[in-house]
Amino acid sequence: MKKVAIFGLPLAFFLLAAVFLMRGLYSNPAERDSTLIGQPLPPFQLVDVMDEAIQYRNDALTGEVNLINVWGTWCQTCAVELPFLTQLKDQGVNVVGLYHELDSDPAFGVKSVDVIRTEITEMLKTLGNPYRFNMLDEGRRYSLDLGVTGAPETFLIDKSGKVRLHHIGDLNQRVWQSKFARLYSELESE
Amino acid sequence: MNFRSFLIILFGIILYSVSHSASSVEEKFSFEDESKRALFIELGNELRCPKCQNQNIADSNAVVAKDITAKVYELVKDGKSKDEIISYMKLRYGDFVHYEPPITPLTLWLWLLPLIFILFGCVFMFLLSKKKQVDISQEQLQKADEWLDTK
Repeated sequence: MKKVAIFGLPLAFFLLAAVFLMRGLYSNPAERDSTLIGQPLPPFQLVDVMDEAIQYRNDALTGEVNLINVWGTWCQTCAVELPFLTQLKDQGVNVVGLYHELDSDPAFGVKSVDVIRTEITEMLKTLGNPYRFNMLDEGRRYSLDLGVTGAPETFLIDKSGKVRLHHIGDLNQRVWQSKFARLYSELESE
Repeated sequence: MNFRSFLIILFGIILYSVSHSASSVEEKFSFEDESKRALFIELGNELRCPKCQNQNIADSNAVVAKDITAKVYELVKDGKSKDEIISYMKLRYGDFVHYEPPITPLTLWLWLLPLIFILFGCVFMFLLSKKKQVDISQEQLQKADEWLDTK
């Protein structure tokens, strides 16, 4: 009995620690549950990135299932996911862009709005344009409300305007199949 | 130009650029109130950058850290309290954003486990000492007494 305890206890302790550390080895440190899941989108009032006369409010994203994709022309990973997003659009998925503005920010760049618009047009022409429209997030203030850590990130919004899924990083076939596809079709049929 | 004057000029340029960049940081976040400045610095050290895991927002150069810092500055200037600002950020970035974890059923073990270990150790020590006492038989005690008496 005593011998079992002397060898068994440290062994059990070691195995427990090993399992705990193994899990840490394969977990994704960037993955975090958004605080917005199940919550309605925070109120917004944003202008179109191409035309500041057009304004969008929360009602622009209700009535249909939408994907909000946070992106920017300066972001390499966003360029990688553009073709796949365009593919989704062709399958009938609504994709709305939230333009994560960086280049006109004095802290990061000095590009004028016109230059940014030309860059957007060029990029969408070469890599595909998945977006119904693009909302300009000036100073990334709305991104802060959404808890965005950087571009690209994607939110799945249901018909009532509630956030149902949040993905950090690029959206590709694998992520779509494992994370989005089922919930998306469920929400579509609601 | 000899080597020495070259060094002096080089040193001057470095000194100028360092002092210049330091003053520009000061200009960016200025406070009339000293207590607000202290709160701003405190929050910069306590809030965690959501992008870069093991850096606080004051230390990080990530875009999101800069954005949070700017927001904290704005809120501090508005006269918001420390708790209000922390819950504002937690609402957006979750408990992760603050270096002090809240007590939840999951994190409770951080505090409980060390206590359990100490308790376990105490019980173990107690049992060990008790067992030793039992191992000494009456005979052995008598023998010991005899030896002590003879000396």
